[in-house]
Order: sequence, then C-alpha cells, then structure tokens
Amino acid sequence: MATSALDYSAAGVPVRQDLRDTHVAMLEHLRTPGSWFTGAERLAIAAESRNALACPLCLERKASLSPEQPAGNHARASDLPEAVVEIAHRIRLDPQRLSKAWFDRVQKEGLDEGPFAELVGVVTFTAGLDYFCRSLGIPAFPLPDPAPGEPSGYRPEGLRSGIAWVSMLAPEDATGPEADLYEGAFVPNIARALSLVPAHVRVLMHESATHYVAMGKIPDPNERLDLDRLQMELVAARVSAMNECFY
Amino acid sequence: MLLRVSGESTGTAVDMQAVNGRVSTDGGVDHAAELVAFTEAVMGGDESTLRTTRAALRDVLSPEAFVDTCAVIGAFNVVDRIADSTGIPLDDMMAAMTTELRSDLDLSRFRSSSNTPAG
Repeated sequence: MATSALDYSAAGVPVRQDLRDTHVAMLEHLRTPGSWFTGAERLAIAAESRNALACPLCLERKASLSPEQPAGNHARASDLPEAVVEIAHRIRLDPQRLSKAWFDRVQKEGLDEGPFAELVGVVTFTAGLDYFCRSLGIPAFPLPDPAPGEPSGYRPEGLRSGIAWVSMLAPEDATGPEADLYEGAFVPNIARALSLVPAHVRVLMHESATHYVAMGKIPDPNERLDLDRLQMELVAARVSAMNECFY
Repeated sequence: MLLRVSGESTGTAVDMQAVNGRVSTDGGVDHAAELVAFTEAVMGGDESTLRTTRAALRDVLSPEAFVDTCAVIGAFNVVDRIADSTGIPLDDMMAAMTTELRSDLDLSRFRSSSNTPAG
C-alpha cells in the first residue's frame, strides 16, 4: 500500500509525512496475517470495530446500567464467531466497563490470551485511525484487501503473568527475536500490554512516536510536537477522562 | 496524566479541572477552551458541534498544531482501549508522580482504577 492510496485532501490542511507513513504501516499491519488470525480475519475484526458504532444492541447496552444487558444479537459486518464479534464491539464502544471477571469469562469461553491480545490490537488500531480521521474531518480510511497467508502461531518466550490480565514480556526478557521490541530506559506497561503479539507492540511504538511521543521519552516534558506539551497533555487527559480510563 | 508534571516543568500553574471539562479560562494552557471543546466534540456524536469546534480550533492554532491535536486524540483512543482491555496497572513512576492529582480529580471513580493496587 502506498501513501498516495490514502486521501487527506478534505482536511484542507497539510498532513505531515511521518503521520501518513504511520497510517500506511498500520493498515498494512491490519491486512497481514498475524500470530492467530489471517489477514482476512483481521480485516473482519477491523470492520467489526467500526460496525460497533452502529450496532443497535451495543448502543442499547451502552445506555444500560449493565454492560451485558439486554441480551440479543449484534449487527454484524462479518461472519466471525459471535464471541469474537462480542469482544470487538465491546472494546470499541464500551471499554470503560471491562473487568477482570469479563476477561476471565472470555478465556473460559475459549478465546486464549494470545488471540485475545491480537484482537485487542486490531480493534484499537482501527479505532485510533478512525478517531484521527474524524478529528481531521475526512472519511475513515477504506480497509485494504487482505494479504494472503496463514497465522504464524508465534508466542514469545519469557512471558510473565500476574501484572495485568494478560501475560506480558518484561524488558529484561525481551531477547532473541524480541530484542528490538522496547526502546529507552522507561518501558511503560502500555508498551508491554500487547507483547503476546510482538508485531502489535512494534506498530504501537511507531504510532506513539508520530502521534504523541516515543514511549521511552514520555516522562521527558520537553518532548513535544508542534502542539506544545501542555496542550498535548490536556487533549490526552480529556480523551482519557471521557473514555473513563484510569491509566 | 502528565499535564501537571508538564506544567511544573515550565513553571506554569495549570487548572487541572480542565481534564474534567470545566474550563472557565485557559487555565495555564494556551487555547485550552478550544482544545477541550474540540476534543469533547470528537468524542461525542453531534456533527454540527464537531464542525463548529473544529473551525474555532483552526482559527487559533497553526495547521500543523491542529493536525497534532487530531493525532493525539487518535493515539489516546488506542492507549485507553488497550489499557482497559488488558487490565494493566498504572506504572509505578507515573503513579508516584500523580497521586495527589488522581485524588483531586477523583479518578478512582473509573472502573479501571481497580487494575492499579492502592499505594
């Protein structure tokens, strides 16, 4: 996929090249077979991420006291298993009410933490691209065609459990194929969260460096974009408050 | 939540209530009212408000800074969902830097606060 494939013209402002390159890389990543899902399945998950916004069941649940009521069927954009659609919609539309009990139930119902982490990355990267486009005032990027191939089944060595719901790779355990995974002395938990799927971590690092600040430099208040750091942090904090995200 | 830390590094007194959407003045952050109004509109569902607040923000920011605002909004919609979906706790260093702030803003009201052990 070439950067020219993405149309920013409706924005009426120039979009810097490193952002364009990141968006191409993210879409290329979404269409590529991962550890547990094919490219076609990943794009179906991305489509479900978008579809959650118009799913009547999800909208009714979002307004309900219980995030899992009423019972019913999701509006679908794919033929993915119902459990996968349920998780994708929930993460996209109602992430603030996720809980450890919910995660445990997901595991018990058969979606192992590896595919779960892959699904989380696909749903959230799609959300990030969509929010960028919505902010800028341009249509969401079309999803690309899937790349051929099968999932690798790859799971890194050295994962540890007990810190988050999912197992994570600590910086000191990131060796061999994962030696390049983290950068800098400060490796926040958000950088480790998707380390069950190392390719997701690499994309997240790339995205953070161009859209915000390189992960390893987050504590340095002198790191900034054209927007000054105070303005960046105000916007970030307001987004997180509206998402009701403590992290 | 590095807003206060960033303010301290530049000697700026930041009105942290802007995080909860209460912006009476710019509170130490240039164009805070326009930034908060635009962010809220992007996160909301009213297209007319989104167009109005986008135009107002573009009136006060350079094109480059406006695009950066869009980028930060995109980035944190990724970060927040990953954090809430994987149950990661707040990093120790960040937790230590933001103890008072989290209390002031009553952030423990968010369900995901339970992922971070009380320190």
